[in-house]
Amino acid sequence: MGAAFPLAVLALWELLSRGGVLAEDGFSRPSRFFVAGAKALADGTLLAQTAQTFGAAAQALVIATVAGVTVGAILGLFRPLERAAQLTIDALRPIPSVALIPLSLLIFGFSREMSAAVAAFACFWPILIVTTAAVRGVDPRLIEVGRLLAFPLPKIVLKLALPAALPGILVGIRVAAGIAIVVTVTTEIVTNPRGLGYAMTMAAESLQPDLVWATLLWVGVVGWAANWALEKLPIRR
Amino acid sequence: MLEARGLSVSFGAQPVLRDIDLTVAEHEFVCVVGPSGCGKTTLLRALAGLTPILSGSALFKGRPVIAPQTELAVVFQDYARALLPWRTVAGNVALALEARNIPASDHAARIAPLLAKLGLSGDGDKFPSQLSGGMQQRLQIARCLAQEPEVLLMDEPFGSLDAITRQQLQDEVARLAKEEKRTVLFITHDLEEAIYLGDRVIALARVNGNLAGRIAEIVDIALPRPRQQLATREDPRFLQYRHRLFRHLE
Repeated sequence: MGAAFPLAVLALWELLSRGGVLAEDGFSRPSRFFVAGAKALADGTLLAQTAQTFGAAAQALVIATVAGVTVGAILGLFRPLERAAQLTIDALRPIPSVALIPLSLLIFGFSREMSAAVAAFACFWPILIVTTAAVRGVDPRLIEVGRLLAFPLPKIVLKLALPAALPGILVGIRVAAGIAIVVTVTTEIVTNPRGLGYAMTMAAESLQPDLVWATLLWVGVVGWAANWALEKLPIRR
Repeated sequence: MLEARGLSVSFGAQPVLRDIDLTVAEHEFVCVVGPSGCGKTTLLRALAGLTPILSGSALFKGRPVIAPQTELAVVFQDYARALLPWRTVAGNVALALEARNIPASDHAARIAPLLAKLGLSGDGDKFPSQLSGGMQQRLQIARCLAQEPEVLLMDEPFGSLDAITRQQLQDEVARLAKEEKRTVLFITHDLEEAIYLGDRVIALARVNGNLAGRIAEIVDIALPRPRQQLATREDPRFLQYRHRLFRHLE
């Protein structure tokens, strides 16, 4: 049912293109870019680029999750620390992640890590902020239960605070997953000669609109699949 | 066993408890009764080491209680907030075993008899949200017993349960306290519940327009055990205790 709308758009697009309403050098047409996509898939280039881009995005998400949840849990539990860190957070957070591309390039060179580092920076903030709020919002009664059982602080965090905050934290991670893909592809378009972003730049420069469209739709499809997988992830707490 | 000596507690400038002196002997069942806002819960929290004390002291076996310790278990009124909704019934009990570093392989063998004792056999795999209020409170009590505490501090544990469930749980807690030889400090605003359950009843009240709660009266309850919902409550002595203590609740 949900597929009806995109299919209708593609059909209309094909018709308009064949009727000469949409310029072929920009809009290509669905029948052509499906062929171009199938070819890129068959010769393995598209899959290699996908592995590159989504590998970097996944790496960024893992780094940002570990760092964001750790720091967020600490700030959420200790109000004075949160107040002390507020200025630093407010000063760093508005830095556009793409502004870190030159620096990351200096540090990591042209590599997957270069893209991952920039994306991790972008993903860190939503996870940090959501985790801090979620942990702060944990019912103090649960923390008291942990204190009454004489658990040391790290166990109170792992057994009570984080599991109780998990639904909120997962929302942050899901938002960050989208950001990871956007920023990774951006770094590839801007500088890093790798992955799906670079593939689109190259296809555009060699005047292959069908391949640009095919790659773009592919990013959407894989991104959708990744999000679906993230939602279906069996999380035990 | 458990003692308060000249214990005072304030929240900021607001005095909550002043000069509380009380002693709970080993295996004794002591009820604290009083109108709302008189500091009953604060007294329990101070004795548990959850609330800082302004002056005086809370003592367990003669040693000051400055932080919570596993020998003192607390049963909260709001059971739903004290249970881990993401853990099963058995998992909630297991939390107390984890706190005592009991190997996971022994958990099942220790959890089963506890659940049986509280009428939760067969519910081990359910989640708290699938249980009625009374069952959730039984679960919280089971977890506290798994802690193997010497003292049970119960803060209006049946306050949000219906009358019939409350009576059942009163009898079960009285039985468990005797069988398991636990010392119990039981907070309630229900005078009849206090007399029905207690070996002693301590009335807490704000005396003479004081803001802080103080001990108004301590009464030994000489009703025979085991107590029975009908017979005990119809006992003339029960009514006398009720008359005597009632004025502190006004």
